[in-house]
Amino acid sequence: MKRRDFLKFIGAGGLGAAAGFIFGRTGKPPGAKLMPVLIPDDNITLGLANYYSSLCTQCGAGCGIQARVMDGRVKKIEGNPGHPVSKGKLCALGQAGVQSLYNPDRIKTPLKRRGERGTGDYVEISWDEALKAVTANLAEIEKQKKADKLFLLTSPQRGSLGGLMRGFMAGIGSANIHEYELSRYLNLQYANKVSMGLDGLPYYDIANTRYLLSFGADFSSTWASPVNMSYGYGQMRQGAHRGKLVQVEPRMSLTGANADEWVPARPGSEAILALAIAHAIVEKGWYKGADAGAWRSLLGRYSPKDVQEMTDVSTERIYSIAKEISSNKPSMVIGGDGLASYDNGISGHVAVNILNHLIGANGAIGGVLPNDHDSGKVDFKRGIAPFNQAALSGNASALIVHNANPAFTTPVAAKTGEALRKIPFIVSLTSFMDETSVYADIILPIHTGLEDWGDDTPSPGVGFPVRTIMQPVVTPVYDTKSAGDIFLSVAASLGGKTASSLKAGSFAQYVKDSWQGAYAKDRAMASSALTFEEFWNNLLKKGGWWTDQEPKKRSINVSAQAVSAYLPQGQAKFDGKDTDYPLYLVLYQQHGMRDGRGANLPWLQELADPTTTVVWGSWVDINPKTAASRGIKEGDLVTVESPYGKVTLPAYLYPAIRPDTVGMPIGQGHSAYGRFARSRGANPIEILPFKEDARSGAYALNSTRVRLSSNGKGNMVKIEGSTKELGRGIIRTVSSKG
Amino acid sequence: MSGVLKTIGERLKAFRVPGYYKKYDHYWTMVVDLDKCNGCAACTVACYAENNIPVVGDDQCAKGRVFNWIRLEKYVEGEYPDVKIRHIPIMCQQCSKAPCETGCPVYATYHNQDGLNVQVYNRCVGTFTCATYCPYDVRRFNWHTYTQEKPLEQQYNPDVTVREMGVMEKCTFCIQRIRAAKDKAKDEGRKVQDGEVKPACVQTCPTGAMIFGDLNDTGSEVYKLASNARTYRLLDDLNTVPSVIYLKKVSGNGGTTHG
Repeated sequence: MKRRDFLKFIGAGGLGAAAGFIFGRTGKPPGAKLMPVLIPDDNITLGLANYYSSLCTQCGAGCGIQARVMDGRVKKIEGNPGHPVSKGKLCALGQAGVQSLYNPDRIKTPLKRRGERGTGDYVEISWDEALKAVTANLAEIEKQKKADKLFLLTSPQRGSLGGLMRGFMAGIGSANIHEYELSRYLNLQYANKVSMGLDGLPYYDIANTRYLLSFGADFSSTWASPVNMSYGYGQMRQGAHRGKLVQVEPRMSLTGANADEWVPARPGSEAILALAIAHAIVEKGWYKGADAGAWRSLLGRYSPKDVQEMTDVSTERIYSIAKEISSNKPSMVIGGDGLASYDNGISGHVAVNILNHLIGANGAIGGVLPNDHDSGKVDFKRGIAPFNQAALSGNASALIVHNANPAFTTPVAAKTGEALRKIPFIVSLTSFMDETSVYADIILPIHTGLEDWGDDTPSPGVGFPVRTIMQPVVTPVYDTKSAGDIFLSVAASLGGKTASSLKAGSFAQYVKDSWQGAYAKDRAMASSALTFEEFWNNLLKKGGWWTDQEPKKRSINVSAQAVSAYLPQGQAKFDGKDTDYPLYLVLYQQHGMRDGRGANLPWLQELADPTTTVVWGSWVDINPKTAASRGIKEGDLVTVESPYGKVTLPAYLYPAIRPDTVGMPIGQGHSAYGRFARSRGANPIEILPFKEDARSGAYALNSTRVRLSSNGKGNMVKIEGSTKELGRGIIRTVSSKG
Repeated sequence: MSGVLKTIGERLKAFRVPGYYKKYDHYWTMVVDLDKCNGCAACTVACYAENNIPVVGDDQCAKGRVFNWIRLEKYVEGEYPDVKIRHIPIMCQQCSKAPCETGCPVYATYHNQDGLNVQVYNRCVGTFTCATYCPYDVRRFNWHTYTQEKPLEQQYNPDVTVREMGVMEKCTFCIQRIRAAKDKAKDEGRKVQDGEVKPACVQTCPTGAMIFGDLNDTGSEVYKLASNARTYRLLDDLNTVPSVIYLKKVSGNGGTTHG
């Protein structure tokens, strides 16, 4: 500190001095910080925290949050206690959202590509220059009449930003909006559409169920809406009745570890197993519906005896599950990633819907309930395969990417990188330099969720309509913009139809306008406040709009006729001959990393995986017997080879995986995405075949066999010591009397 | 002079004799229902955020220096296909007869009037005695002065100090939140109400497996749960009298009865 600054510092007195110490931490010269705190912002009282209600954008579940803000900085993100999805709770990934905001690897200014595509060589430019370059490119495309070949690749958008994007694309004259995320549950949504006529994801009322049969739904950890479903799980276990959980999956997930019974069915046979249980229910007369006859004939070929060889689940066990699920009502079946990730994923989910029909779970309390709100229709024809196809054949004139990273989450066989290289102009709206953004010509850094406006309808919701509002809780950390504002300003510069369809002065205004529209139409909203301004202020305070209500039961029918075309023909297909590639490969999203998005957050890198306790890296799960027969020891580097490629990772000897199967977590193996993520572990998606179901737009993650070869000593950091209790009675159990 | 020091020494020593406090002002107690806990580890991240816990990196983790004040332990029983994996969150048990308190040569760790083991960071000289004596392996030592890469440090909670090299630390039951609630209650001339204090882990626990409160308050939820048939204390044969009460996991066939 210079002498002059020091004198100023002394002169500033008590409050100033205290503030100087606190704000001195932000790295700017102390003198620059003295005045502003003497006259602080209205909502800053030194030492006191403000809580702002907003929306968590770390995954797609749509939890309501409260950000604890002190002196203009976010200190913590907590669940919004009034919000029906999060109920005041929040998961590991959600809480780490504050590390997205203050991440050292955020893109700080707009960038323009200097080097080859994919190398990440960029120069900093001004916003003015960047937006001019984007506008000029889009104007040129319009001029060449190639605007219909403009593509927009975005993370799924269920709120105002989605509406704005659709308006922008419609104005420009393109229909090519591809909403992409690895876990969009497309097979599930497709199956629900064709068998029950439901759009979006339904609410699973776990809290009130007494018997939950889950086919690979790791809802404790990563699947669908972990916070809300974990809350339901706690209620199910120690609520009015203790519910039982049975988990079917080849590799025990965290949810599988919590289950009372783990059923390690053969990979790819889960759909068949579900129908065998359905067969048993109908055969034994436990289903009393009028259409029992139709089901009996439809399910005739899935008798437990005939499928026990394929599923590796004994006839007795199938009958016992069928009996328990029929006699402990309300009961429910959930199909998760473990069911959807095969090439017959749609069949698997249809089978689950059939089972739910036979046990009366569809539309029942303690079962599967629709939300009655519009969380956006899915265009199943817009998966990543049609996008890559269009780009590879030169049918994409330009691409706008927004928070989507298919280059990381699709196999090498999908040729996503090649497809991106073929597109003449790419602009990426992102907060981080991810594997897809390194192909972009212009990079526009956008706000994170804590700096931006927005709104959302949660999916899966809670069985009644909920709409959450997102508001900025701090001033932007860097020179970033709201994605919505970027679309608006590009539209304004483009002029013509694009500009005239999007009139809002800012995205904040656009969001507010859309709520004003809803307020004008919705009687309940209108009666909650005298004026819209009052309603709006209440909304920002509360964090969204919902009425206090309980989900209601209703009637949903699954007809034997409607589903007959979707029944599984046999076990799912796995590429590679079993003589050359003896082991099944199953992939799963790692607890904190999810589809790779959490890898740049140090808290999550250092958070021990609950099933393996590995930190800062990835691994390959091998059953100890399988490993022993191949001379593989824990921590040895193992090369996992499929017909499509190979990755090398340290071995984790996991006792809860089938001996004929190896597992690998998704999430690590980044080649970009910042210092915490880069060059850790491997990305197992690389070695998959690319089999996208043209009906649903989902590609199969579990669809190849692999072989293993030992490759010397590796470096795996795990936290666990001995996994044996050695008679110390650490986790004590009591058997239920039921 | 030496006489004064001796007197101070005697006084400080008295704090760690079990039975020094006839009755705690508040008997802060945590109940963890292992039948509800699903091992999601949200508690761990909440604790990192609330207590300015440093991320130490993979090389330090490899040396067993990970800093989690609350961790999720995993135990495996049986072999495929009859294998069971169970989880238990373990944090400082805030023992009423705490082994860690007995050995500290500088009285950096002592028992306070609320029944908590508290650690005075600026007294600690890093002898590691307390960590050696702790049977629960919950004490964490600053082998280095760990820093965060800018601007991650802007997240630091100003209610909690950051620690530096040579200092031992551990779970405090979020004493800053307890203090805030007690101060507020005092200002308003009332007692702290049940549910008013929630440590970060308890607050965020999605399943509601963790409950926190005052065992002296007979109306509190923890008081009710303390008489549940499923209660046990971790390694209770060591007679450390932990303030953390675990509720046994219900095993077997599910069923409909509560323990």
